[in-house]
Amino acid sequence: MIIEMNDVVCRFGVLAALDHLSLTVEKGEVVCIIGPSGSGKSTLLRCLNALEDIQEGSIEIEGLRLDRQHKDIHKIRLDVGMVFQQFNLFPHLNALDNVNLAQIVVRGRTRYEATVISKELLGKVGLTDKIDSYPSQLSGGQKQRVAIARALAMNPKVMLFDEATSALDPEMIGEVLEVMKQLAREGMTMLVVTHEIGFAREVAHRILFLENGRIVEEGPPQELLTSPKNQRTREFLAKVL
Amino acid sequence: MTWLVDQFTILGNVFYYLIQTVHWTILISVLAYLIALIFGLVFGILRLSLSRPVRWLASAYVNVIRGVPLLVLIFFIYFGLGKIVNLDRFVAGVLAVGICYGAYLAEIFRSGIQAIDYGQHEAAMSLGMTRWQTMRHIILPQSVRIVVPPAANEFIACLKDSSLVSIIGLRELTRAGREYSSQYFLDFQTWLVVGIIYLILTLTLTQLVKVIERRVAVHGYGVEKK
Repeated sequence: MIIEMNDVVCRFGVLAALDHLSLTVEKGEVVCIIGPSGSGKSTLLRCLNALEDIQEGSIEIEGLRLDRQHKDIHKIRLDVGMVFQQFNLFPHLNALDNVNLAQIVVRGRTRYEATVISKELLGKVGLTDKIDSYPSQLSGGQKQRVAIARALAMNPKVMLFDEATSALDPEMIGEVLEVMKQLAREGMTMLVVTHEIGFAREVAHRILFLENGRIVEEGPPQELLTSPKNQRTREFLAKVL
Repeated sequence: MTWLVDQFTILGNVFYYLIQTVHWTILISVLAYLIALIFGLVFGILRLSLSRPVRWLASAYVNVIRGVPLLVLIFFIYFGLGKIVNLDRFVAGVLAVGICYGAYLAEIFRSGIQAIDYGQHEAAMSLGMTRWQTMRHIILPQSVRIVVPPAANEFIACLKDSSLVSIIGLRELTRAGREYSSQYFLDFQTWLVVGIIYLILTLTLTQLVKVIERRVAVHGYGVEKK
């Protein structure tokens, strides 16, 4: 297995955003996480990238323990790519340099090597003609696709998507989901926090329903979406479907 | 009529005398400002350090220096420290102004760094960058845009405050004004001209700051004025 979360507790003050949560994800698996706001979906992803401290339990990525205090945490983090709701592109760099920078600085690639990889990835997400554009000149959908290319450039073993389409205009959601579907088809291990139930139905191998920092119910899309066992899952799905 | 001509001749003479010392004012302010930039950048970043003692040390510098009048600082360095190490009045003057303005710049740099959205740190860290790499490649290049206008304005203030070093006998513009007025008893004309020369310098700099502001504002930053 590629991700193993064991009895993880992540607290913000008295609130337990993750409450003794355990989860294992196999290589190549696509796991979609749904649930009401405040249920801990984002926190779950952020813990997997060591952006939040955990107070109890352990997280292992490919057998390496994730510890925020570890001095080489930035290296362990390399295996985990993250795509944010707010894109978080670097506004002072154009699309190409957004994808290039970490490859050069962190992976130690030459500018030439990095550029070859970046161009290929930007082509893959359909942005060959936007290579020189600055983030301020891109639409939301284009920004998010650059962000995906940027994360992929580090050759992550897992990709985390934190509501990657929630900040987008409706007509731009499709182009980003399409890129994500393609990634899933290629066998990338993905954890996707999403409100796009249609996407989850189509792509996910497994869906988790989270509430109050716990996994209330999990199962393959057909099962969980059509005949949820838990009362809370039923209520939630009745509202969003 | 002749009175008016006489007056302008006097002003012309004063101006001619004083303008020969203006390069000292410029030199002192530029050198002091360079020192201030280094101090400001170092202490501005240190104030955001993860280590508590380092943070404490950096804010101690800022708070102590900002809380002491520059004139007192000049006396302390020239006469006080001068007792221990032999300090030239030029070195002492430049150092005092530089250290003083370093504290102001540190605050400007700190706020410029903190003004960058935390999402930028998270994005950089999620790509495996260390804290320093994040600072160097992501945060500082963006902070520059925010920091340049107020930091450039500090240079104007620094130039004006360089007049204080006249007190330890550094012969810059203000000192020359004192010499001239006490020699010829032309106080009104002398200080009028001294003021005008400072005004010419600061107004020129203000225009320069506007140009620089426009320069750094372009470069595909954010959505603001393009």
